[in-house]
Amino acid sequence: MSWYNAFRVRMNTLAIVLIPVCIAIDWAGHAIASTLKLPLFLDSIGTVLGALLAGPWVGALAGFITNLISFGTVDPIAAPYSIVSLLIGLAAGIGGFYAWQRRRLGWLALYLVVFLVASVGSTPLNIGLYQGQSGVPFGDAIYAALAKGGLPTWLAAYADEASVDLPDKLITVLVALVVYQGLPNRFRNLFTLYRRPVDDEGEQAAPLTPA
Amino acid sequence: MAHGLSLYVERGSVLHRAHPLTKGVLTASAIALAFVLPSLGWVLGLLASLVALAAIAGVLRRLVPVALLVLLPIAVLLLLVQGYVNPANRTVFVGAGPVALYREGLAIAALAAARIACLVVATFLLSFTTRPADLAEALVQRGLSPRIGYVLQSALQIVPQTLEMAVRIQDAQRARGLETEGSLPRRARAYLPLLLPVVLSSLVATQERAMALEVRGFGRRVRRIARRTFPDSAAQGAIRWALALSVPVAIGLRVAGWR
Repeated sequence: MSWYNAFRVRMNTLAIVLIPVCIAIDWAGHAIASTLKLPLFLDSIGTVLGALLAGPWVGALAGFITNLISFGTVDPIAAPYSIVSLLIGLAAGIGGFYAWQRRRLGWLALYLVVFLVASVGSTPLNIGLYQGQSGVPFGDAIYAALAKGGLPTWLAAYADEASVDLPDKLITVLVALVVYQGLPNRFRNLFTLYRRPVDDEGEQAAPLTPA
Repeated sequence: MAHGLSLYVERGSVLHRAHPLTKGVLTASAIALAFVLPSLGWVLGLLASLVALAAIAGVLRRLVPVALLVLLPIAVLLLLVQGYVNPANRTVFVGAGPVALYREGLAIAALAAARIACLVVATFLLSFTTRPADLAEALVQRGLSPRIGYVLQSALQIVPQTLEMAVRIQDAQRARGLETEGSLPRRARAYLPLLLPVVLSSLVATQERAMALEVRGFGRRVRRIARRTFPDSAAQGAIRWALALSVPVAIGLRVAGWR
């Protein structure tokens, strides 16, 4: 069973209905973080949760449309980053297909994959849009220090973005996993068709990276 | 934090009456052009025509404050950091020694900021003159999958409701003694107790909603009839094509050596 089988499952009505809910969770997660004045975005919890429940398509659409809506309302600059949100949804969905949420090592793998996709995906956009800055003052201070130290722009730009994503995606993935664990079994089982059909404990070790 | 998602401003202008797709194509091609055009002069020209369109639509006074709110912090950050560290920096503009802003970096930052200004104004021009639901409906009528159309429309409704619910839950948890102010660790601890109830109550409703939709034939593959249509014209079709074609033309010119 290869990883691309995760993409073969067609979305049923329940999965479609789940997408707007995930988008709303993305928004609520971000809104609560801003009310509490937390220095993080936390705007892809719903994307990761949707991907864990119902696979890469739900995650990708939830991520993409979340950015599309914020693009049209509060934050026009979010538009190019909808590609990154889409990729986060796809990556987390592959993790969900392998049921990474059931194993401790899988939690780590999920975090690493989401972090890598987010930071590697955003860096070229930062270079194209902002000459490599991320627009977050803390990260941009790191950028200025590294670029002044003579590092190439792309490396300084990656460090800038990674310094923002490293804590942000950790909390995002952790919250999504905690919520997933807290969901009633009855609800989680509605989505079993989006998981790899294996012997229950899934002993055939899933690869760490979906490539 | 709870407010409707639409920025739509009711006016009777040409732009308000135009087909939603025409405005969508206008915004998309203006954004693409902003990043293709070669120099600051061209980008500022594009920005000026977008602002003129906003004035024609009668939304300029509403648009400027919102746009500045988004733009100013980014422009300042760009000018400071690029003026300070851009690898092209040679000539000092202000300051001296280790603390100086350079002309080359400032010029690069100004171009980047002007491009982002085009992106912001073009986007707000669309959101101020078009109801998001109309745009989604127009896309479905032109061949977007109705399932995706449902997702868009439903997200536009559910997001504001969920944000309102988040405010209510925050009040309820505060009344029970949850600390939402103070040091960072204390505020961080309040995150889950505020988010979890929102997530759980919005997920619980999904199964019922899915059944309600299926009973009404949501999954059926049948031809759908539009409840409302948007007036369109041949002229608008021509404008859409011209706008869409301007982007590959500009790219071609750039490749051919336009500076």
